[in-house]
Amino acid sequence: MAIFKLKKREIECKIVYYGPGRCGKTTNMEYIFKAYKKQVIGEMISVDTEGDRTLFFDFLPMGLGTIKDFDIKVQVYTVPGQVQYRSTRKLVLKGVDGVIFVSDSLAVRREKNMLSLKDLQHNLKEYGISIFKIPLVMQHNKRDLAGQDVPVMSVEQMERDLNRQLKVPSFPASAITGEGVGATLKECLKLTLLSFKKQIKSG
Amino acid sequence: MVHMNIARKIKTLLQEAELYHSQGLLDEAMVKYNNATEIIQSNEKIKSRQNLIDNISKKILALKGDIIKIEKAPKKPEVSAKVQDLIKKMFSFSPDKDDDAKALDGAIALAKFGQFKRAILEFNELLKKDSLRVVAAKSMLRCHMALSSVNEAVAQYEQWLSDDIFSTNQLDKLRVFFESILTKEGIEKTLPRRKTPADNIESEMEMVGVDGVQVKVPEIEDYETLDINSIGITMDSGPQEGQVVEFKVRFQLGNVVSLLLPGRDKDLIENFKAGDVFNDIQYYSTVALFNASGIVTSVKEIKVGPRRGDYCVDIEVELN
Repeated sequence: MAIFKLKKREIECKIVYYGPGRCGKTTNMEYIFKAYKKQVIGEMISVDTEGDRTLFFDFLPMGLGTIKDFDIKVQVYTVPGQVQYRSTRKLVLKGVDGVIFVSDSLAVRREKNMLSLKDLQHNLKEYGISIFKIPLVMQHNKRDLAGQDVPVMSVEQMERDLNRQLKVPSFPASAITGEGVGATLKECLKLTLLSFKKQIKSG
Repeated sequence: MVHMNIARKIKTLLQEAELYHSQGLLDEAMVKYNNATEIIQSNEKIKSRQNLIDNISKKILALKGDIIKIEKAPKKPEVSAKVQDLIKKMFSFSPDKDDDAKALDGAIALAKFGQFKRAILEFNELLKKDSLRVVAAKSMLRCHMALSSVNEAVAQYEQWLSDDIFSTNQLDKLRVFFESILTKEGIEKTLPRRKTPADNIESEMEMVGVDGVQVKVPEIEDYETLDINSIGITMDSGPQEGQVVEFKVRFQLGNVVSLLLPGRDKDLIENFKAGDVFNDIQYYSTVALFNASGIVTSVKEIKVGPRRGDYCVDIEVELN
């Protein structure tokens, strides 16, 4: 839920990276932190555990400049992907304005992608939010592995698995090289701001 | 030709295993190493067969080491003060409330992220606030219990008995609450009470119903701070299908309430499985009655203590 600070003329919104464990959510954020220095307005905070697994969340504060005299501040979070951190994921998701679902292109992670998307839908529903209505962008990550000798799903297959019904904007990406990272975030921010505009118009 | 295919297959499996290991996909890596080992073991014609198996065994051993490290890592370790401050600030969700309510929200957020020691310090500060004193005290006891420090929790309660910050009614509330937590943990302990003349004529049953605590009525969205006394669930199946069955809440941590079900009532227990969602639960608290959904987060048989054989069912309140 975006916060409108009228006195300070500021709008704060929350974007959450969601997806199965080890799909590259933190790598996305690390790339953004390095590549978008102008927009980053504080340090990136990571709470991770053994094996570089996100434990609670990663956090990155960003400033997008001014729209109609309002400063747009964005809090970007990642959730822990491991199945056992369900309650933490739900906590981090509270008050979310836009979601980036990061899927893993490795064929062995096909089922995990689908389960994570279902988990996202379930957690959003518990906050009274429909996955079909929230600003949502999908990123099919680890496309760089397609050139290596491991089974990687085609983008078409991933779209069929994950985006057949949702039909949200999606991007092939490689968070490790940065390909598609900026485009994914920009699209999500665009959809989120458009959603605010609609909400304001409808009163 | 068959040999070449097998060699290629083994090479591919090992490449996959290496890559999955490097990606942190440890279970997937283990499957591939095991597949490769099985193929090598079943083909006696493969050259240096034992060497290959030995090499893969070493890799499997290293992989198992990584898996154990992850499994043994604390699930909710204490994090730095900077991260705790961030949790307090970003997960309190109370932009329009007063400073006290914000502070309470912040302390609850810390407890939810398992930062119990810091949360205890924050709740301790909130004991100074009339309107939050009992809620903060209960939360402190819950945090001590979550830290498995029963003795500290008891010492804390006894300290409050000798302090004059709580009224006798408030202390009674705390005692009843704390005893129910201890019972849930299988600890049978009668806690001391502050002696007053009135105590001689008040019965335990009346005490539970007394609502003399001056707690500010929270808004419904702050349900996690509400103390839920009991809940009513419409049964989906079993002999009580369609009926609303009322359960006493034995323990509450944030928005998770715990019920104790008698072990002999198998039909009733069958109604609760982890992951089950009940869409229309009635929640009764001393300050509000509301309907909301709830998800069963765990169903565990109690293995020790006087409640051995009974079941503890945790339900997470879902307000939206």
